[in-house]
Amino acid sequence: MTRAVAIARTAALSAFGPGARGLGRALAIDAPLPGIPAEAPLATPRARKMMSRAAYLAARCLGDLVRELAWTDEGEHIGYFLGVGASGGSLDDFLALLDESIVDGAFSLHRFGDRGLAACNPLLAFQLMNNFTLCHGAILEGLGGPNSAVFSRGAGTIAALAEAVHAVSSGECERAISGGADAPTHPTTVAELAREGFVARGLVAADAAALVALEASPSTTPDTTIIEGCGIASGRGRPIADAIADAVAATRREPIEQVDIVVIAPWGPPAADALRSWTAGRFPTATVVSTGALGESLAATAALAVIAAADLLADAAGPRRAIVLTLGVDGDPGAVALSRSAA
Amino acid sequence: MRRRVFVRGVGGYTPLGASWPATVARLAEGATAIREIRRFDVTGFPCRVAAAIEQAFPEEDRRLPYTRIAAREAWEMARVSAAPARLGVFLGAESGRCQWNTALGLARAGHAAGGVFDHERFGREAVEFATRIDASVISPAAVATALAVEYGADGPVETVSLACASGSAAIVEAARAIRIGECDVALCGGVGADVDPLMLAGFGLLGILSARGVSCPFDAHRDGFVIGEGAAMLVLAAARGDATVELAGIGRSLDAHHLTAPEPDGDGAARAMIAALRDAGDAEIGYVQAHGTSTPLNDRIETAAIKRALGAGVDRAHVSSSKGALGHWVAGAGALGALYAWQAVHAGVVLPTAGLVRPDPACDVAHVIGRAISKDIDAALANAFAFGGANSCLVLRRAA
Repeated sequence: MTRAVAIARTAALSAFGPGARGLGRALAIDAPLPGIPAEAPLATPRARKMMSRAAYLAARCLGDLVRELAWTDEGEHIGYFLGVGASGGSLDDFLALLDESIVDGAFSLHRFGDRGLAACNPLLAFQLMNNFTLCHGAILEGLGGPNSAVFSRGAGTIAALAEAVHAVSSGECERAISGGADAPTHPTTVAELAREGFVARGLVAADAAALVALEASPSTTPDTTIIEGCGIASGRGRPIADAIADAVAATRREPIEQVDIVVIAPWGPPAADALRSWTAGRFPTATVVSTGALGESLAATAALAVIAAADLLADAAGPRRAIVLTLGVDGDPGAVALSRSAA
Repeated sequence: MRRRVFVRGVGGYTPLGASWPATVARLAEGATAIREIRRFDVTGFPCRVAAAIEQAFPEEDRRLPYTRIAAREAWEMARVSAAPARLGVFLGAESGRCQWNTALGLARAGHAAGGVFDHERFGREAVEFATRIDASVISPAAVATALAVEYGADGPVETVSLACASGSAAIVEAARAIRIGECDVALCGGVGADVDPLMLAGFGLLGILSARGVSCPFDAHRDGFVIGEGAAMLVLAAARGDATVELAGIGRSLDAHHLTAPEPDGDGAARAMIAALRDAGDAEIGYVQAHGTSTPLNDRIETAAIKRALGAGVDRAHVSSSKGALGHWVAGAGALGALYAWQAVHAGVVLPTAGLVRPDPACDVAHVIGRAISKDIDAALANAFAFGGANSCLVLRRAA
């Protein structure tokens, strides 16, 4: 069984603010973005003890989405596939653990076992494990279907979306939610990005979560955005243009002739140049919109781009096709082909 | 049309052997790798034992050498070739580790009065420590990336971070990619390298490690799990070659219940097993490689779920768990389970549950105790269940 897969609704928490409607338009006209304060505290004591910031954003975003959807399916029929990062635990908690583990100015494993463990938030492990970005929300909202948490610094989120699309199209589940969440403003992630040279090359970290709800739909249904396919490719050791072409080719069996909108999700200026250059050569008449103004949200960026593309398709008159092109800090390109039939 | 997925090669690097056959030889005679940790000072830790690999490696992050060794073994056995764009890599892995002094320095760089993290101070003072951390090494994706480079994979490269189900879920994604034609050959599996102070502390704080220091899945005296480490890799392909086993069924579910505890009636686990069995179609399960953590709750609930999923067929299935001998590999555990299942179908060798002496009456299935048994097996089920309630199951079947 293969069924067309449509986007039923979207939700996001990003530099655009809470919500997803109008995101594509705002990016297309370079509208000022309010942003999420990087230091905004997690809202509840429960969240502070148990959740990483990424998990909190994902759970909030999922809650918003599920309430808007009002799906009546049992949770076990809804899949949940997420691109996740590794921007983990509270350094306050980690610090408490380490502070009790010092002897004569040096860290002591003996003291760590004896005293440090007792000083630590016992739930720190839940903040550190990457899959809990997915699991907290699934537990809170009762999602019980097929699932995956794909580590993502870009392409992994497209892999998660591909999984979700396949799960729905093959009938493994009736509906699915997919996207990404990450908190790259976490100090250790900023340090990592600085270490890799991305900050010096223009990367601006921004926390975000972005989700799309998917369901089976006849591909000819008016006013419906269909995900035609997703593709990822390895960008290592070869010209990036070849890798982008492979990712786009992997989205559909037939070559893509006409594209009206291209939303690019680059991690910073060098990646943006590569994506714009490839797009200009392959789809010279397409309108190009970039997620750059949202900052770099690692595992969430590709999902924000999909939301922007869906938003722009919904705004347009007549049948249209959009391509999302991502190039994250992992150097692997990803592509999503979307289309919308006429009303 | 859905393509079949064949297991062309397997490889394992474990605390009991530097290859899968060497490991199987030790497992078959009932050996266990669990002993007191010698790599670092464990005085005061809630659990002081592990199934650790003693071999020293120059790499700071041990995930990479473990996986390289297992991958090479699987690849050499597979004798496959694929165009770069048709070769994918799918790995279950969590983050690697920097050295303790580096982590300590980073945290203290942001230490303000009152024990609260000071972001501004961190920004000023963390540079020295940040430059010591090579994110390209400790990132969860570093291992899959390295394998993709080494094997020339230009196809999909994915890292699944789904805790204890990561390795199984990575195999699921590899199978899906081959089935629908995203790639023709996939190097897949999982790695765990968690015998280190942070993980021992994290799991210890949760109270889920064995206080007695014994891993004995399904035993009446089980009291928690023991951490282990290693890598288990498979080469899957659309072309059969001389493969004797195919990956016939995949199934996934979420408990949507609790952060650490499985659903009390095992509904989530049973749904994943049933989904994998349905996906496989006609398969008579002769062996179940259980997730079998040796925690009081998991083993009892998993037993109930196995019985529910297999129905009357449970009488024909033997059950064992890798964790008695090799500990819990976390991100690598599901892939190790797949190797146990492959061994049963390929060679008719059902490996035992080390540490199991007196089965809990609540875990009333046909256990394999003491030594391996020989049994003609048509199909095997391999379970992997993660903290947070993510379940992933595989059905491996004799290739007809």
